[in-house]
Amino acid sequence: MKMYSGTIRKAPEGSKLRDLYYSRQKRLFLLVVALALVVPLAGISLFSYNYYKSSWIESTSAELSSLAESRSQIIELFLADQEDALAGIVELYGVDYLSDQASLSQVFTAVNQSGVITDMSVVGVDGRHLAYAGPFTEELSGRNYADADWFQSVMADGTHVSDIFTGFRGTPHIVVAVADPERTWALRATVNSDFFNSLLTSADVGPGGDAYIISWTGELQTPSRLGAADAPFTFDAATPGAAEVLHDERFIYAATPLKGGDWMLVLKTDIDDSLGGLYRARNQVIGFIVLAVALGLVAATMIISPMVNRLREADRRRMELNDRMREAEKMALVGRLAASVAHEINNPLQIIENQAGWIGDLLDDESEGKVSDVTEYRDASDKIRAHVRRAREITHGLLGFSSVGEGLASTDINNLVSESASFLENEAKNSRIAFKWDLGEGLPPVETDRARLQQVFLNIINNAIDAIGRDGAISISTRPADGSGVLAEFADSGPGMPEEVRASVFEPFFSTKEGGNAGLGLSISYDIVRRLGGDIRVSSAPGGGSVFTVTLPSDAGKSKNNTREER
Amino acid sequence: MEGIRLLLVDDEEEFVRALAERLRLRDLEGRTALDGRQALEFVAGEAPDVMILDLNMPGIDGMEVLRRVRRDYPAVRVIIHTGHGNDLDEAEAWRLGVFDYLKKPVDIDYLVERIRAASGSD
Repeated sequence: MKMYSGTIRKAPEGSKLRDLYYSRQKRLFLLVVALALVVPLAGISLFSYNYYKSSWIESTSAELSSLAESRSQIIELFLADQEDALAGIVELYGVDYLSDQASLSQVFTAVNQSGVITDMSVVGVDGRHLAYAGPFTEELSGRNYADADWFQSVMADGTHVSDIFTGFRGTPHIVVAVADPERTWALRATVNSDFFNSLLTSADVGPGGDAYIISWTGELQTPSRLGAADAPFTFDAATPGAAEVLHDERFIYAATPLKGGDWMLVLKTDIDDSLGGLYRARNQVIGFIVLAVALGLVAATMIISPMVNRLREADRRRMELNDRMREAEKMALVGRLAASVAHEINNPLQIIENQAGWIGDLLDDESEGKVSDVTEYRDASDKIRAHVRRAREITHGLLGFSSVGEGLASTDINNLVSESASFLENEAKNSRIAFKWDLGEGLPPVETDRARLQQVFLNIINNAIDAIGRDGAISISTRPADGSGVLAEFADSGPGMPEEVRASVFEPFFSTKEGGNAGLGLSISYDIVRRLGGDIRVSSAPGGGSVFTVTLPSDAGKSKNNTREER
Repeated sequence: MEGIRLLLVDDEEEFVRALAERLRLRDLEGRTALDGRQALEFVAGEAPDVMILDLNMPGIDGMEVLRRVRRDYPAVRVIIHTGHGNDLDEAEAWRLGVFDYLKKPVDIDYLVERIRAASGSD
């Protein structure tokens, strides 16, 4: 059977938990970075967006308002022009001249070069047509206007501009009429609605906007593009000539009263139309924020990952070191305890040995036959003494835990390793085990306890021989260790050891060997090497087998681990 | 009897008497002392050839006895026989000039062999 003992360290518990901790730290950091980027950028953007949007609405409202005012002036002027023109004709020509069909046609042609007026007629005090110039002769001939609103109104007030209405001719139109001062007749003109409408359609209210005139009865006086007279205005509030402006989520409205409050001009513009540029800018800003955050996160990840890894590595090293320190302390404590127990047991063992020996001595003096079963007594005495010797193996082994570091001397590690192996050469040869050498050249001498170190090497080689059993090789190599110091490695071609054995191989009283082995060899070796300021480790060889590595500092003698323990 | 003058020093009375008895069976006549003071008195009275000395004793301990005996009676061969000695004690004992340093428990025959070697009669 093989014998190994002692653990260096067990895998730290909760390493998964720590991984979780690190990845959580990492995520937290990235979240903070993301927030640090997003919050101010989004805040500034949102603020700017709202600021620009409200100033946009404000300036658009102002534009719309002045547009409404100027349009209403144009329309009022237009209507007034028509009235003035008719009034001029009434004053200039008189009813006798205008009642003549040919004369009226002449006047109509003269005043209507712009095509603003569709037709013109003279109506007598009884409401009958006196003359007519225009395209609707058939439809209007013989009509009586005595009951028409416009006629009654013009006869009462002297002038009149009607709402849009269909009338006898069957198409929507606006009538402008002027009566003579005596109210004995009236001159009537029909305004070309296309021309009138063009006064509005030329207003620039954007693709989603609208412009229309609505009467106080709620009837559209001009076509509405959106077909809806939805302006949130009341008629009474408006001051003539001044626009009233308001807006909801979608539209900005501007309204001005017309025709003494009978009509209202409404301009409406779609906020989104005028804010299109702002929306594009907003989308670009959002894109920019997303890009900035993404870049920030990438940069942060590039920074944080190595940082967290370094932190994790440092933590891991620290914990490993702690574990090793604890382990070393534990071993030293166990060693001291073992040595003191051994000391206490040695005296009683000596007495047992002596008393058993005395029984044996006394039996020698007894004559054969006088004491029956002499042989049995002697056997018993011998067995007691044999077992005392066995116990002594253990207690003397335990004493190996006592002081280390006496007799420090400059030691050539190659020399010491070779010498140790030579002691076991015969044993190895008998088991057909070969030593393979790979000793480094020019290694620095080590200031150390030569005898103790030899004990360690002997123990390791002995274990290797036991592990192989028969037929195999032990590769022994030396080389400079990392930093200062040297390293000796012993690799056997044995079957290796399972993890649980590897973990316990340096523990005292741990043995896989059957029989009277105390399981102290590697434990003492561990103790010695640690006290010499070095390190001993075991690992599995690539091709099976075990590798024991002993590392020694070049100045072991000055290391503090080496201070003698008082016993 | 071989005429080797032997002194056994050990504070375990039972042990030291039984040891003396057993040694007598092996033709070695030994006197016994149970502590350092007794041992030194004995040596002052009649210096033995060989002295078996325990280290851990009440009063004057074995190391002190060894020191004085080596100083005052260098002819006496001292064999340390102890259950408590550590490496430092062993090194000190060797430095003071012991003949041998044995760790308890020791087989009687080996002890006899060492005594004879010490007396030069072997």
